[in-house]
Amino acid sequence: MSLYSFLSHGLRLASSVQTCLSPNKMVLIKGSLPLKSPSLAILNRLFQTSCSRYGLMEFFDDEKNWGADEVRVGRAWKAEELRLKSNQDLHKLWYVLLKERNMLLTTEHYYEKMEKELFPSPERIDKVEESMKNLEQVVKERNKAYWQLEVSSAEDGCRPVRRERNQFGVMVDRPLTEHVEPETDSNRVRPARPYASPDVANFLKLKHEQEKTERNREARRRHRHVVGLLRRFPDLDLDMLREQYPDVDMDRVRRDKRIRGNHEDRLSI
Amino acid sequence: MRLTQSLLSPVGKMTKLYSNLPESYIKRAMEKGKVGWKTPRAVQYQPKEIKKKHYRFTMNRPWTDEFARQNQVSRKKVYVKPIPKWSYFRGDMVEVLVGKDKGKQGTVSQVIEERNWVVVEGLNAHYRLVGKTAQYPGTMIASEAPLLVDDHVALLDPADNKPCTIEWRYNESGERVRVSTRSGRIIPTPTQAEETYDYKTAATYRESERDTKEDDLTIISFKPQLSTFEMDVAESMGIELGPPPSETHWY
Repeated sequence: MSLYSFLSHGLRLASSVQTCLSPNKMVLIKGSLPLKSPSLAILNRLFQTSCSRYGLMEFFDDEKNWGADEVRVGRAWKAEELRLKSNQDLHKLWYVLLKERNMLLTTEHYYEKMEKELFPSPERIDKVEESMKNLEQVVKERNKAYWQLEVSSAEDGCRPVRRERNQFGVMVDRPLTEHVEPETDSNRVRPARPYASPDVANFLKLKHEQEKTERNREARRRHRHVVGLLRRFPDLDLDMLREQYPDVDMDRVRRDKRIRGNHEDRLSI
Repeated sequence: MRLTQSLLSPVGKMTKLYSNLPESYIKRAMEKGKVGWKTPRAVQYQPKEIKKKHYRFTMNRPWTDEFARQNQVSRKKVYVKPIPKWSYFRGDMVEVLVGKDKGKQGTVSQVIEERNWVVVEGLNAHYRLVGKTAQYPGTMIASEAPLLVDDHVALLDPADNKPCTIEWRYNESGERVRVSTRSGRIIPTPTQAEETYDYKTAATYRESERDTKEDDLTIISFKPQLSTFEMDVAESMGIELGPPPSETHWY
């Protein structure tokens, strides 16, 4: 039912990955072509941890899908399904999804360059990305549980952020960096009041004005929409409308001249 | 409220269920014809774009190319009557209350929630002459026009097969069901209601080559333990993490 089998893909021992790393680097420094060196070809085989090895062709779709109108696949992994899987399975699945995404993006790029045919079933990219997003969410949940148990209830195991004003005076969440020394006035990452200049104050004034105008426009638009609805469907249930549009003032809507008939007295409403 | 309204997708829930597509893809496909102008992808430009925000929903499904093409031009706004809860599903038996097929009963073959429309199979149809050339007289094709729910069609009461009004109530097992207000009989949800673009029923879906098999999906390999994801993976790969690092400061 779901996308992309991963449990059948065996993962080689990690030690083989580690031992591969240093000789690989050495050969490259020597300047030999990577693919012509026989020792490196063997090393490449060891370096790849999945069962299927097609070299560069792994960046492209199956040959039978080339030029197809549609490639039928299932849906994305849901977070509740991923919560059943062990950390090792999630680790493998992440790389299966990553390879799939690389493959899909390369294939899409190829079709765009060719300009002859359309990339079949582009929704596959969204499905893979949704799976990856859910997987990351599950991993963060597990880490958060550990940090809250072991360290403190405020910790979630993620990189901390601090809500502060940036150089334009706008409130942002700044990701913090790790330091050995504690924070003092002398080694502070940003000055304490970077926004205390007349230019920034003017910019902020204009920005707030723009935001306020947009808010007012949006409110007027919604008011006008409800007026239009009541004009076309006079028997609409007002309580239902109040529930659907909670920030629209229904008394003001009913007093609006666009829904009042000409024969009705303005004062009687 | 402004935030929630902007986050709410204009695409109906029934449409999303039928498409079986990720929401992000439907949004992406709908916007295909909408972007009027975009800054070039270079460092000196801020990522800005001018695009139309309003869509006109028609018989074309939102993720199709026809929909995007149709929405390239602006058309007059359509006011759709708000409905408290959607109660018409694919496969429902309904009676047509208006038009040349008034009084006839048929099956709902298509649901377009964004416009409060249903299409009844073979009813309220007009004929189109397709493929007429000098040599060939062409073929007549029946194309059904959509009908407004509540005003132009009504669900049938299973007790007497006559149109009725319905109410959503809970049954003994706690599920919400449609009940005819006249006879109190439950109107069952048809099996066709779970049909999507990819399959007729979820049980008959044929897994493709790259899909995870049902058996693999339901294996529970998770074992709760006191370690983070990184610690667990490193341990199973034989990577020594060493002593815990000394205290650091984040700022």
